[in-house]
Amino acid sequence: MIDADVHCAPASYRALYPYLSEYWRHYIEEAGVRLTAVEHAYPRGAPTSASPAAREQRGGPVPASYEALREAVLEPRSQRAAPLGAGRPSTPRHVVLNCLTGFETHRNPYFTAAVASALNDWLREEFLARDERLRASLVVSPISTDDAVAEIERVGDDRRFVQVLLPARADLPWGNKNNHRIFAAAREHRLQVAVHAWGRAGKAPTPSGFTTTYLEDYIANQPIAQAQVLSLVAEGVFDRFPELRVVLVECGFAWLPPLLWRFDKDWKGVWREVPWLKRLPSEYVIEHLRFTTAPAHLPDDADAIAQLLEMLPAGKLLTYASDYPHDHGDGLGALLEQLGEEDRKAVLEGNAAALYGLG
Amino acid sequence: MTTVRTEELRAPAQGRSVTLVDCDVHAQPTDQMLAEYLSARARRLLERYGRRTPRITTWYPRARNAGMRVDAWPDKPGHIWGSDPELLRAQLLDEFGVDYAILEVLSGQDCYDEADFAAEWNRAVNDWQRERWLDFDERLLGSIAVAHEYPDLAVAEIERRAGDPRFVAVLMPSSAAEPLGARKYWPIYEAAAACGRPVAFHTGGYVDHRGAGYPSFYLEYHVGNGIVMQSQLAGMVASGMFEAIPGLRVVLTECGVAWAAALRWSLDRAWELMRDDLPKLRRRPSEYIREHVWFTTQPIEEPEDPRQLVAALSQAQLEDRLLFASDYPHWDFDSPTQALPRAMSPQLRQAILCENALALYGLPRERPGELEERG
Repeated sequence: MIDADVHCAPASYRALYPYLSEYWRHYIEEAGVRLTAVEHAYPRGAPTSASPAAREQRGGPVPASYEALREAVLEPRSQRAAPLGAGRPSTPRHVVLNCLTGFETHRNPYFTAAVASALNDWLREEFLARDERLRASLVVSPISTDDAVAEIERVGDDRRFVQVLLPARADLPWGNKNNHRIFAAAREHRLQVAVHAWGRAGKAPTPSGFTTTYLEDYIANQPIAQAQVLSLVAEGVFDRFPELRVVLVECGFAWLPPLLWRFDKDWKGVWREVPWLKRLPSEYVIEHLRFTTAPAHLPDDADAIAQLLEMLPAGKLLTYASDYPHDHGDGLGALLEQLGEEDRKAVLEGNAAALYGLG
Repeated sequence: MTTVRTEELRAPAQGRSVTLVDCDVHAQPTDQMLAEYLSARARRLLERYGRRTPRITTWYPRARNAGMRVDAWPDKPGHIWGSDPELLRAQLLDEFGVDYAILEVLSGQDCYDEADFAAEWNRAVNDWQRERWLDFDERLLGSIAVAHEYPDLAVAEIERRAGDPRFVAVLMPSSAAEPLGARKYWPIYEAAAACGRPVAFHTGGYVDHRGAGYPSFYLEYHVGNGIVMQSQLAGMVASGMFEAIPGLRVVLTECGVAWAAALRWSLDRAWELMRDDLPKLRRRPSEYIREHVWFTTQPIEEPEDPRQLVAALSQAQLEDRLLFASDYPHWDFDSPTQALPRAMSPQLRQAILCENALALYGLPRERPGELEERG
């Protein structure tokens, strides 16, 4: 089993001080900048932000050290961590770490770039250097293509970084031509790209504007991810970078079939607008996009899930993620029940192994 | 709640039953046509200063036939697509035997205007609609255009039209200054429910919210109309507006439909985990959608295997909630004879083409006659 999405984050900016210049250490101290800006996305009390077991972990639900990660995910002592049910692997062969800290909401591009570099250095020292099972997403500035490319150049040769981490909520959709240099740099370093739920905040946090409840905000990652799918395909990213795979992380997947039915239909009408596309949009999606299994927001009954799976090639598209410490309900178990043995293996391990070269 | 009784207006004309209702047809005035209905002050503002925001069609030029059916331009000076009732009657009502066509005039949707101007502008849209269209052919029904950013003025306009049963709906955009579930807009919904009209949220408006950033192409914008509506519908349910206004019925128009099932699943699953975040809801989110929300067909999703569309409608419990729409005269016009796949049962086709709309709008089953025939 390969777990394609486990969260970690430093407990505070102090953990990053060894990797930040004196200027930025003073900036943080003077301005009282705190690493809590991700709380709009994962409010402490919300049931989705941490599973009951994760809440019992010393030091908080989000692992801030290798020891905490080992205890919670890699070698859990409690049987809680048989998330896939009896007879299935309970500990992952590999784990992909995603470090979300909320820095991606900052407007200062210089600070954003400095923190991205510090986070990557911290990931290397605290986690990657200490356990061969660990892989990580490479943190980059989401507001400066130059800085994102520079960071990929700086650490992208380290094979333990498997993908570039981009937030789903962006100032500019990721497929936009102004972002293509990020994909070029990623492929030069044999990295894939992850688009993870949440991200930029501001005037338009969702397609309908501001939300007044957390539930709306939480759900909104799914329509926002759909817009990123349209952008990546329509802008010809996969024509320019045929080896690129993009993983949508923590954005759901049950919404995909109707989106592709509409996308293909519209493209047949207005293909002139995007002359670089050589195939149906859905064919690009099937070949180049992958989706983590969390959240598995699925229908109540097994027959309806089976019906959904006839529309969605799950064995090709999905890749298992515990999304530790987040808790999106028990949809994953119901999904795995409906998959054939071959598809189940692909979802639990094979797809991630192929994606990240973890053969 | 008053029920609209269109039959009051119409004698049972030819004794033939209604078989086809088109729930999204675009009549479109030029600014000059509307100017006739404006006060001197508003006309002067329009002529000297224009309107405040560039139309969305200039952001995303329609990549096919300028967005219209190529044959939809009348051969008449001063006319544009959708401005000539005679052409629409020939190309839509007569050609396909449409018994009722519900007009949605979008002229007031994609602009922010000063309050008094906005109210006048929408009143002009409705006057033009009534005089040039509803009085022209009995098969044509109207939607009340409102200055949605000024709910008190919008309510006044709804009340002004409520006595005319030919106006069968209240028209809103799919994107507005605030999310459509915001309390700001509730007075509009209350007024619509009070006079028995559904609120039709039509794709478009001043699309300034994105979440993922602004896309580059009409292709993304157009497919994205369904994405925006998903976000809006989630917000409407979460806002508690369906609990607060039990008589409210909404029609999500020109935004696709097959996505409804996945949205229901995600809302229900999230609600099971966090129902205390939405204390106003007393039932599962999907139940509010089931009870209060209708969809129009065009542009309906087209899977390679049409049976999957039927399955998707069933998953979302939309068999009695889906309304046929041609979207005349837009480029992606759907013919009523070809738009619905054969995988649909005859009963489902009949429900979509006719029955669901008759029930929603309270329309008489007898086919309306044309005015000239009745003298």
